[in-house]
Amino acid sequence: MWTVKYKPKRLAEVADQAEAKEKLLKWFEKWKPGRKAALLYGPPGNGKTCTVEALAAEKGLDLLETNASDVRSESKIERFLGRGVREASLLGTRGKIILIDEIDGMEASADRGGARAILRIIRESAFPVVLTANDPWDRSLYEVRGLCELIEFRKVPIRDAVKRLEYICGREGIKADPKVLHALAEKNQGDLRGAILDLETIAQGRKQVTLEDLEVLGKREKEADIFAALRGVFKSHSALSAKHAVSSVDMDPSEIFLWIEQNLANEYEKPEDLARAYEALAKADVFRSRIIHRQNWRMLAYMVDLMTAGVSQAKKEAYRKFTRYQRPEKLSFYSKTMRTRARVNQVLRRIASRLHCSTRKVKTEFLPYLFFLMKREEGFTGRLASALNLSEDELEMLSSFYR
Amino acid sequence: MSLEVWAEKYRPKSLKEVINQKHVVARVKVFVDERNIPHMLFAGPPGTGKTTLALCIARELYGEEWRQNVLETNASDERGIDVIRGKIKDFARTMALGGAQYRIVVLDEADALTAEAQQALRRTMETYSSTVRFILVCNYSSKIIPPIQSRTAVFRFKALSESDVKEYINRIVKGEKLKIDEKAVETIVYLCEGDLRKAANLLQAAAALGTKITESIVYDVASQARPDDVRKMLENASKGKFKEARSILHRMLVVQGLAGEDVVREIHRQIYGLNIPDDVKVKLVESLGEYEFRISEGADSLIQLEAFLAQVAAFLGKT
Repeated sequence: MWTVKYKPKRLAEVADQAEAKEKLLKWFEKWKPGRKAALLYGPPGNGKTCTVEALAAEKGLDLLETNASDVRSESKIERFLGRGVREASLLGTRGKIILIDEIDGMEASADRGGARAILRIIRESAFPVVLTANDPWDRSLYEVRGLCELIEFRKVPIRDAVKRLEYICGREGIKADPKVLHALAEKNQGDLRGAILDLETIAQGRKQVTLEDLEVLGKREKEADIFAALRGVFKSHSALSAKHAVSSVDMDPSEIFLWIEQNLANEYEKPEDLARAYEALAKADVFRSRIIHRQNWRMLAYMVDLMTAGVSQAKKEAYRKFTRYQRPEKLSFYSKTMRTRARVNQVLRRIASRLHCSTRKVKTEFLPYLFFLMKREEGFTGRLASALNLSEDELEMLSSFYR
Repeated sequence: MSLEVWAEKYRPKSLKEVINQKHVVARVKVFVDERNIPHMLFAGPPGTGKTTLALCIARELYGEEWRQNVLETNASDERGIDVIRGKIKDFARTMALGGAQYRIVVLDEADALTAEAQQALRRTMETYSSTVRFILVCNYSSKIIPPIQSRTAVFRFKALSESDVKEYINRIVKGEKLKIDEKAVETIVYLCEGDLRKAANLLQAAAALGTKITESIVYDVASQARPDDVRKMLENASKGKFKEARSILHRMLVVQGLAGEDVVREIHRQIYGLNIPDDVKVKLVESLGEYEFRISEGADSLIQLEAFLAQVAAFLGKT
């Protein structure tokens, strides 16, 4: 990964952030046990963590690091950092920097007591402690903030990001249109790590990148991914590989669900296969509703398994054919008809209030008869419109929407 | 006024016009005479006069200007308790007009509220009890949480008898000077299943067709006015045409925005009319029940009913 390969080894290599680096160095030189920790903050991908790593490397120090991907309950933090923080290393030759990364990523319940443990570590540490956060004003950081010197890392300016991308291209032997690099930097808005990741995505193994290559990123990449995932779910015989087919798609599970639902009937043909597959989807949907109604996110795993492995196991044998997959009608319908539906709803509301009932009752109890009367009785539409304080056009729109 | 719609035009305006429900009306009359009503809960089948009675109470208390002292809101359209609370708060803050001591909130289809929303409503009822009286209207009182039931006078509306419905039909027949034969009246009574709203709608549609309303006209109207999407959908599914059935289902639920429960109910009604073996009908009913249960627990009606249609296609594909 280029983000690892081209991580700065020395402070001078860190793009931009001159002011922040200077502040950090000053803080570090003055640091003694009992003094404030440093809290580096700013948007993602602009060099907070790698600046600390470069600092440790430059000063010949060990780096003791924990980040948001570790669970940070009180006991875990204590176990991991506690001793290392309070005792000088047994070998005693090298000093340390303690890095507690992404502290605003802590969850209230899972990391219960974690904040307390961090406060204790800052107070008692024999070594300098550096913390990072995207949003230092997060309410949960109120106390931590008081024990820290705040150092801001700003968005990496486009010019500096482009320079770094050019450097990487040079080392990789890639000829890149300056416009491409500029566009990459711009798209990532100060997130240099993101820009490097994108560059690697479009340029790896190639000698040249052009503006057209950029289109691969974003939407197109998403759709290519989902098509491959659908094939994986529908064609595979192994439950596990069906499950893994969707794991790399950058999409909400409920959106993947819609894609599977939309294309299932085009792929499977035998009624028994379809019945089993839809039952798997229906069960996945039951788990989805448990997630929503009880906030029980553990259930997500079962929803995903049923909609992938469940659907794949529903068929007796795979269909040997090419299916052109379609985007979910439900999504496109909702976006296409947003305005009409809003107008229809407004009219329904008006009728509902005149008839002292819900719009649901208007639809099921009244509309069938009203439409019948509009068709069969001379002048009824006009009289009804004026009685309901609507225009005839509005009533006609309603009837054409429902017929 | 919406007098073009007979169900509205012939909605009773005073307590003595209400069809039957004598046990309820008698007690409500005492409250109204003393101009002091408690919070009330009206429960009963559709079309039996619950909302009507609530509006009658408002008329009796406030006269023709009743609208300014009444907030009507429907939980089926405004599920968010915050919307309800916000509206109720604003409404309760302004004084009752015309010298009345309190105003009335009619919360219709209250059984559409979630349990959490009902908890919040319970507090709202207490907070504003000095300025506002609540009349909650629902089909099933069991869907209303006990703390709310215990704070309201609960009135159960009876299913209406044939003679009740006939009385109502005759009222409209007289008012509109219709010609109708006895057989036709009985047919409407049979088709509307005790629901006066449905009786009025059927009668109005039938009246549009001809000079004298007959039994066959009523049947004709009933079958024409009832959307036959559900029947077409089931027919397609039972012939193994799953995709066609699915697209009708999409049209009903996604495009027209019908409620899943309403479609389920219609499917249930139509299963027995399908041209399939009786033992299969029973199997389909059992499977439909499972899907309706899931929907009532919060599952997505589109997905669940698709699964049902796929079952229908598979069941009948085999035979």
